[in-house]
Amino acid sequence: MSYDVLVVGGGIGGMESALKLADMGYRVLLAEKESSVGGKMILLSKVFPTLDCASCISTPKMAATVHHPRIRVATSSEVREVRRTENGRFRVRLHRRPTFVDQAACTGCRQCEMSCTVAVPDEFNAGLVSRRAAYIAFPQAVPKKAVIERQGSSPCAYACPAGIRSHGYVALVRAGRYEEAFRLVLESTPLVGTLGRACLAPCETECTRGRLEGPLPIRRLKRFIADTHYAAHPVPAPNGEAAAGAESLEGIAGDARCDPSRADRPGPLCPAPPSGKRVAVVGAGPAGLTAAWHLALRGHAVKVFEAHGEPGGMPRRAIPPYRLPKDVVARDIANLTALGVEIACGARVTDLETLRSEGFDAVLLATGTSVAARLNVEGSALPGVSTALELLAGVNDGSPPDLREKTVVVVGGGNVAIDAARSALRLGARDVRLVCLEARAEMPAHAWEVDEALAEGVRLHDSWGVRRILGEDRVTGVELRRCTAVFDETGRFSPAYDERTTERLAADQVIVAIGLVPETDHLAGTLRLNPNRTVAVDPGTLETSLPYVFAAGDVVSGPSTIPAACGQGRRAAWMIDRQLRGESLDPEVVDDRLPPVDKDAVLGRQKRYRRLEPLPEGKRLISPPRGFGELEPPLTADEAWRGAGRCLDCGVCSECHQCVRVCPAKAVTMDARGSEDEFEVGAVVVATGFTLFPADLKPQYGYGRFPNVITGMEMDRLLAPTRPYNSVLRPGDGKVPERIAYILCTGSRDRTVGNPLCSRFCCMYSIKQNQLIMGALPLADVTVYGMDIRAFSKGYDEFYEQARVMGASFVKGRVARVTETDNGNLVLHYEDVDRGGVLAKAEHDLVVLAVGVAPNPAARALFPAGELAVDDAAFVLEADEDLDPGRTSIEGVFVAGAASGAKDIPDSILHAGAAAIQAAAYVERVRGAT
Amino acid sequence: MSDRGEKARTSGRDRPHGNRIGVYICHCGGNISDYVDVERVLEAVKDEPGVAVAKTAMFTCSDATQQEMAEDIREHGLDGLVVASCSPKLHQFTFREVARRAGLNPYQYSQVNIREQCSWAHTDDRAGATDKAIRLVRGGIARTRSSLPLTPLVVDTVPRVLVVGAGVAGLRAALGLAQVGLEVVVVEREAEVGGWVAGLGELYPHGRHGGGLVAGLLDQVRAQPGITLLTGAELVEKSGAFGNFQVEIRQGASRTVRADVGAVIVATGFETYDPPAGEFGRGRPGVVTLPEFQRFLEAGTGALVYEGRPVRSIVYVYCVGSRQGPKAGGGNLYCSRYCCGAAGHLSNRVADRDPAVRQYHLYRDIRTYGNLEAIFTESRNRGSVYIRFDESEPPVVSGDAGAGEPRLKVRVRDLLTAGEELDIRADLVVLVTGMVPRPNEELVRTLKLPVGKDGLFSEIHPKLRPVETVVDGVLICGACQGPKNSSESVASALAAAAQGAAVLKKGYAELDPLVAVVDPERCDDCGQCYPACPFEAIERVPHQGREVASVRRAVCKGCGACVPVCPAAAIDLLGYTDEQIRAMIDGLLKETA
Repeated sequence: MSYDVLVVGGGIGGMESALKLADMGYRVLLAEKESSVGGKMILLSKVFPTLDCASCISTPKMAATVHHPRIRVATSSEVREVRRTENGRFRVRLHRRPTFVDQAACTGCRQCEMSCTVAVPDEFNAGLVSRRAAYIAFPQAVPKKAVIERQGSSPCAYACPAGIRSHGYVALVRAGRYEEAFRLVLESTPLVGTLGRACLAPCETECTRGRLEGPLPIRRLKRFIADTHYAAHPVPAPNGEAAAGAESLEGIAGDARCDPSRADRPGPLCPAPPSGKRVAVVGAGPAGLTAAWHLALRGHAVKVFEAHGEPGGMPRRAIPPYRLPKDVVARDIANLTALGVEIACGARVTDLETLRSEGFDAVLLATGTSVAARLNVEGSALPGVSTALELLAGVNDGSPPDLREKTVVVVGGGNVAIDAARSALRLGARDVRLVCLEARAEMPAHAWEVDEALAEGVRLHDSWGVRRILGEDRVTGVELRRCTAVFDETGRFSPAYDERTTERLAADQVIVAIGLVPETDHLAGTLRLNPNRTVAVDPGTLETSLPYVFAAGDVVSGPSTIPAACGQGRRAAWMIDRQLRGESLDPEVVDDRLPPVDKDAVLGRQKRYRRLEPLPEGKRLISPPRGFGELEPPLTADEAWRGAGRCLDCGVCSECHQCVRVCPAKAVTMDARGSEDEFEVGAVVVATGFTLFPADLKPQYGYGRFPNVITGMEMDRLLAPTRPYNSVLRPGDGKVPERIAYILCTGSRDRTVGNPLCSRFCCMYSIKQNQLIMGALPLADVTVYGMDIRAFSKGYDEFYEQARVMGASFVKGRVARVTETDNGNLVLHYEDVDRGGVLAKAEHDLVVLAVGVAPNPAARALFPAGELAVDDAAFVLEADEDLDPGRTSIEGVFVAGAASGAKDIPDSILHAGAAAIQAAAYVERVRGAT
Repeated sequence: MSDRGEKARTSGRDRPHGNRIGVYICHCGGNISDYVDVERVLEAVKDEPGVAVAKTAMFTCSDATQQEMAEDIREHGLDGLVVASCSPKLHQFTFREVARRAGLNPYQYSQVNIREQCSWAHTDDRAGATDKAIRLVRGGIARTRSSLPLTPLVVDTVPRVLVVGAGVAGLRAALGLAQVGLEVVVVEREAEVGGWVAGLGELYPHGRHGGGLVAGLLDQVRAQPGITLLTGAELVEKSGAFGNFQVEIRQGASRTVRADVGAVIVATGFETYDPPAGEFGRGRPGVVTLPEFQRFLEAGTGALVYEGRPVRSIVYVYCVGSRQGPKAGGGNLYCSRYCCGAAGHLSNRVADRDPAVRQYHLYRDIRTYGNLEAIFTESRNRGSVYIRFDESEPPVVSGDAGAGEPRLKVRVRDLLTAGEELDIRADLVVLVTGMVPRPNEELVRTLKLPVGKDGLFSEIHPKLRPVETVVDGVLICGACQGPKNSSESVASALAAAAQGAAVLKKGYAELDPLVAVVDPERCDDCGQCYPACPFEAIERVPHQGREVASVRRAVCKGCGACVPVCPAAAIDLLGYTDEQIRAMIDGLLKETA
């Protein structure tokens, strides 16, 4: 693709250049990094000296630009590089940022905005109010299309092995939309209640707020969601959770995910029409159940084969009820069976090929690690030696061993060992000892699990190994030896002992919890296995060595975590579905997460940070513990709201998917990604504008510390027809200001901030605001503190005189500093030149800093390093300001507007016209030469 | 030009029988339908006479609905289109394009605004808003029933521009136009080109030589094909309309040059303010204006000697001829923009020549805007003393002291030192004089140039159309429009060149067909419409042996001012004919229940 001219920047200068060039007949590519053209001018209230409404002047130009047949406007696009070629033309790399909304389909109806669960400061309103993550830049945006701001994956969601959009459900809980939150988790796994209790919550480990007062209770929020839904729906609706959830969404037009027209991509909550395919899932643990859920939603007939008497895998068999009540697991599983998934229990599958011959089109092997490893020491076969899995399964089946008044030694340092030890206490054991090789700090069990076990009365013997188990015909005790190192220097598990340091413990019962292994021996002839007896798979597609057999979960990875197994189940389902539909297996497509956001950047953007303490844990631990009742109390609705309210919205978009569901045009494309295009152009107009001086660099004026010190741009927003508060209110307390001060030359004519130059327009915009304030607040006094009033252009001095006639006071004198009073008023300390230079003080209730310009470094970055010359103040240098205003140091590159130095709007427009005709002349010259 | 033929074709055409109008009522995603019962509007209008298709849509502006409309237009052979949605400012263009794409004349489309005018305005009254929407839509349908297909008037344009004034602005505009392939005729009243800048030495802020600058520019102009430079020449006559002006230029006493041009750029520059005797001591020896001081400085080297006397002390009085509000005695109200920078620049040149000269600047506000601030800073750093006075108490210049003494005395109350009254002895008093408009009555009359209260030429709008005047095709730039320094004048000149090229490079111009037409049979040439037209678009033409009024379409702006003044009701505004307006009123008044 080629264009005659590239215009970089869609502000007033860029639009003017583009329009003039296009009217002359040249084809123009206009690249604008924001989602709308309009630049800074559209942000303004009215413009001097005519007091026209800025929108009224801007929008016709914006519309004319976007609709012009010879202008192509690329919004949300950044020019990455412009390189001049030998023939005098330019190669341009244009990066199109993903907007996550199909810009052609979007009608600008704002339904996404209204459904969005995230609020962030609204740049259009200078941060005075909030906007949503899904938003249209401002009411007059051209093109009027929504975009979704996604800075990346939020760390919590990125950390979730199950692929749950944690930030999304946190945001939904914050919004009080519990049912939608429940559905969002269902998009990843049906085991909502199980994970809400028994997940080890890597999301919380990664939570950015953890760097401040402590992480959000993300897991407990999930439990809250599940408890709330299950309380309202003790049994699932006949057609599954999808239908149950849909009830609460009545009235919202069209669930995009249930749209038959998108049957090629059925969403996880709306079962697709039956595919006619059958899938067998072997093993009803987290991996198998999650896979079955996704397969059923995709329209496949799924049958789950479970060897044990109850489905649920380790959460059902091995996690004690005080952590995970069994009715919760059962209710989670009911989500699946309501969808028509058949679960056959007590059905041990020994021959995969038989399943194939029984008519299953694909098989998923998800049998986990169902066998407990045994200690390989003397005495380990004695009666009274058992595994933790046996103990816990007995507890969960209602047939626990009798440990009353017994002394129990639990061997192992993981969470299962802790569970066994704490269960033993609950079964009435008199004394429970936990023996582990690791020192306490190295134990694989979570530190808080260990703490809780100790609080309940378990006694820890860390850094000890079992040398042998003592006893003649029954266990009487264990002999320990000091473990000096658990791992060798390469990090491999290889315990070393000091055989001279030993200890003996008495024991009636020894419970071994030293690991779990898969039960795969019977498959050795059918599938390729790894040396550790796990099933060998392609890690991306989870295909085994048999084409129709996939494997997922711990049987592949070895003992892992519940969410990791869920994640593998989801991946396996995705792959099986693609295989059944004859599509290629692409490991990339399962995971459409964006890279995680930088936590430092997230913390850095918190301008006004409020300390919010985490919720208390709320567990009441007693020693010895009594019974298997659930330890952790549920969150109340208020706690859930407060807990979720601490979210920093790290990735901005929470991925709650509400916009996806409500968009009537089905335009939301969360899987969109950026793209890069290359163009050839004949000339370049740089119209990247300016940035505003950051007022906090002048700390003596208190911006950022005193809420009632604002910038000129903020005042312009307060005065604009699209103003945020529909009145001029001071931000600190919403009071209507009565004594307003302007401090001119904030950041201009000021060596102390490195800018000795004048910014040209601040006097005038202040005077304009004076007049508007006197109209909006007839009782307010306005005082302008400054050195010279620079009303130099056509009609400006008359405008200044008009403000004086209207009653604005102008005080000659520079303000040294601003202090704040108890009621939020501000005292200006200044030299009053007109009163003989006395040092004076004046109290005001609102101070407006007339901030000036700073260069926009984006201009230089467009070109290879150093090619585009800039002046002393870092604005784009004009090579011959006298005869060729706008011509830069690079032949064929022109600058329009304030990118070359401070300019007001009329001067920018004239300058842009000058750049346009010179760019046209250049195009003609190069064209003539070739 | 196809002026006459076009009019005959549209006004003489019979009304089509049996309209087929498509009506689309927009929900605007709730923006309208939350407060207007859209379905009730549909019910109420679908059986209006002429309506062939009536529908509602969630978003009429969406691509899907646009396509649906286009299909309806083709399938049902629609001859009119009505969309009831938002303001025509937003989407009139959109739906005209839909009509055009589907083969329907875009001027047979009417937009009815039921959002801003109904749902948004009456959020408290759903029934009332719905009622109003029904009436407005009926009005729109009624108007569309008698709409005519109109085509924009296409006029060929002459690819040649007349530039009036060969100062730096006019020359640079001419060069810019020629470089993009347009011919240029430049007319300069003086014998020499280059204007003010040609007479200047070092320019601020970079110290380039004004004369050299112009010479270099003139070389480029001469080397550029397509530019005709006429010096000692004046524009004396202009006729025709935008795109096709005929101009007459008198060169010298005898020669007359005629040319066809598509546009005119006026770059006639400025005059400096010449204070009358007595103003700030004007008339006393040693009291000089800024240009006089500049010439004095450029004429010599080394230590300053004025009229044989060494210069030890200079006082600058700022804002002479500028910012003369009521407190300053009245006169020019505007700021002359360039003088602060120019005076500061010259004071630095004085310091170059003789750092010992004491320089006092008596000012009101120093307006060295932008990077000119560096001049002001340098001047202060090199010892210039700045003294601020109040406009109500201007400095008083008096004279003469004895021989060997500085002969001028300036009394001023210095606000920077608590209102201390100072008497400053000065060898030279420089009146920092501003810019004033040039006397150009002849040109103003010929081009009908709009002149503002301040005597400067007026643009239509400083932001929307900063170089255009109300006379189509006549552009202005440089200091004739308002005080500017050299480089700013050049920027505006190039902007004017860009505007000229934007309208002329295509070779034709499309003019909106919504113009007034006169029915010659009814017109009895009473003459009342001629003065009613603010654009002088109505001319007297012969018609079947008598004279009647006729509207020049290329000049008419469709404002409608002539329509009501015609006692014979011979004038109609296309797109808003009397018949259409009456039908709209009937539609609005029809009961809705």
